[in-house]
Amino acid sequence: MVQPVRLYSKGRFLGFQRSKRNQVTSASLIQIEGVNSKKDTDYYLGKRIAYVYKGKREINGSKFRVIWGRVTRPHGNSGVVRARFRKNLPPRAMGASVRVMMYPSRI
Amino acid sequence: MTAFKRFVEVGRVVLLSNGRKAGRIAVIVDIVDHHRVIVEGPTTGVHRHVASLSQVTLTDISIKDLPRTIGTAALKKAIVKSGVVESWKKTSWAKKLEVRRIRANLTDYDRFKVMRLKKQKRFIVDRQLAAVRKTQSA
Amino acid sequence: MSKVTYKGSLVPGVSRYSRSQRFSKRGLYLIKSKVAGVKKVSQSKEKKPSTKSAVSDLERALNRKPSTLYPAESIPKPKQTRKVHSTATLRSSIKPGTILILLAGRFRGKRVVFLKQLASGLLLVTGPYKVNGVPLRRVNQAYVIATSTSIDISDVKVGKKFDDSYFKREQEEKLKGTEEEFFGNDAKKKETPSHKVADQKVVDSQIIAKIKSDPMLKSYLNASFSLTKGQAPHLMKF
Repeated sequence: MVQPVRLYSKGRFLGFQRSKRNQVTSASLIQIEGVNSKKDTDYYLGKRIAYVYKGKREINGSKFRVIWGRVTRPHGNSGVVRARFRKNLPPRAMGASVRVMMYPSRI
Repeated sequence: MTAFKRFVEVGRVVLLSNGRKAGRIAVIVDIVDHHRVIVEGPTTGVHRHVASLSQVTLTDISIKDLPRTIGTAALKKAIVKSGVVESWKKTSWAKKLEVRRIRANLTDYDRFKVMRLKKQKRFIVDRQLAAVRKTQSA
Repeated sequence: MSKVTYKGSLVPGVSRYSRSQRFSKRGLYLIKSKVAGVKKVSQSKEKKPSTKSAVSDLERALNRKPSTLYPAESIPKPKQTRKVHSTATLRSSIKPGTILILLAGRFRGKRVVFLKQLASGLLLVTGPYKVNGVPLRRVNQAYVIATSTSIDISDVKVGKKFDDSYFKREQEEKLKGTEEEFFGNDAKKKETPSHKVADQKVVDSQIIAKIKSDPMLKSYLNASFSLTKGQAPHLMKF
């Protein structure tokens, strides 16, 4: 069901923080729509992120499942942020969209 | 005939696109090299400084026959006399920038009001248009 | 080392008096009899305060027979906390009368009027109910956007009765072990108690009177907030 009100920004899970040969799977990189500089990320720090996906089996009457996380800090200067999820995002989710919620609000 | 209409020349009015004074206009007073110019806008609050051409945008407007490295006072006079600022404000480019600035500063309630008023406008226009169409088809 | 005296105890942790001694000293037997209400013993015999020296007390304490009955397991006492949870500071953008946007929960996206902060730090808001269906409600300020729009509610009387206990869930009657517990009569809808309906009306009527001053404000509160394509909240002013 499409929610009548959208109270989140759209984000994209790019991959994990990494070097040439290693990756830190506990730090996911998220690109948020309309955020193009490090300065812009300030608003989003601490905001909750939801990765919503669909499973085969119903749990509590719903096939939708969520992995929750939080924006922890900016990553580089281009507006990408790092996020930490309660369970690390599965690699399958790379390129998928996530919801960057508007709470906890500071404004 | 060249394909270009806007030149880097003394007297050319430029729009600053970067930095603190972004969005203001200034006049090229001198050319330093291929990439940099000296600009000043005494009436628009831009002090005389060297600006990279990558950080300014040339406009169609220019002050004709402005001498090179003109002094601030004389430049001010020339700007007022040529009416550069007014003609800039009349351009649709400047108007668009102004609208964008206003829109960005609207509060939530203002945005709502705009939405409502646009709806009302649309309602009236559509009704009139329908009436006109009806008379034409009949 | 200077000698430290402890009132009622020989050394920290060792009482000067046994349990029975304390019982008789404190006159607890009087209370007991009062509860029973049978015998009113007027034992006005004052016991002599013991003037024995501390040394003999210590000896007695050491020689005291341990109680024959002990609890099988020693129950650890919970540590006393002296911390007091102070009320969360209200964000400077939120003042009484400010219009807020709710970000989560059943009423997400709704615009509501902020009335006051409660002792728990939660915000008391109202829709008003008649305008957008949001009742008097508590919300956490983390789940709220403060807009720059506000209405003057300085002379609106918000009753003192609206505290945290007012919003506590009422205890439901437990249908334990009955068939109803399992097969439930869920169809029965809970009705809002009439006194709460009345309270809502009292507050709302005052606020709706304020809203009327601005012709578009009512429909503003009635409309819900949503992000649309191309809108990024960090660039928006509220």
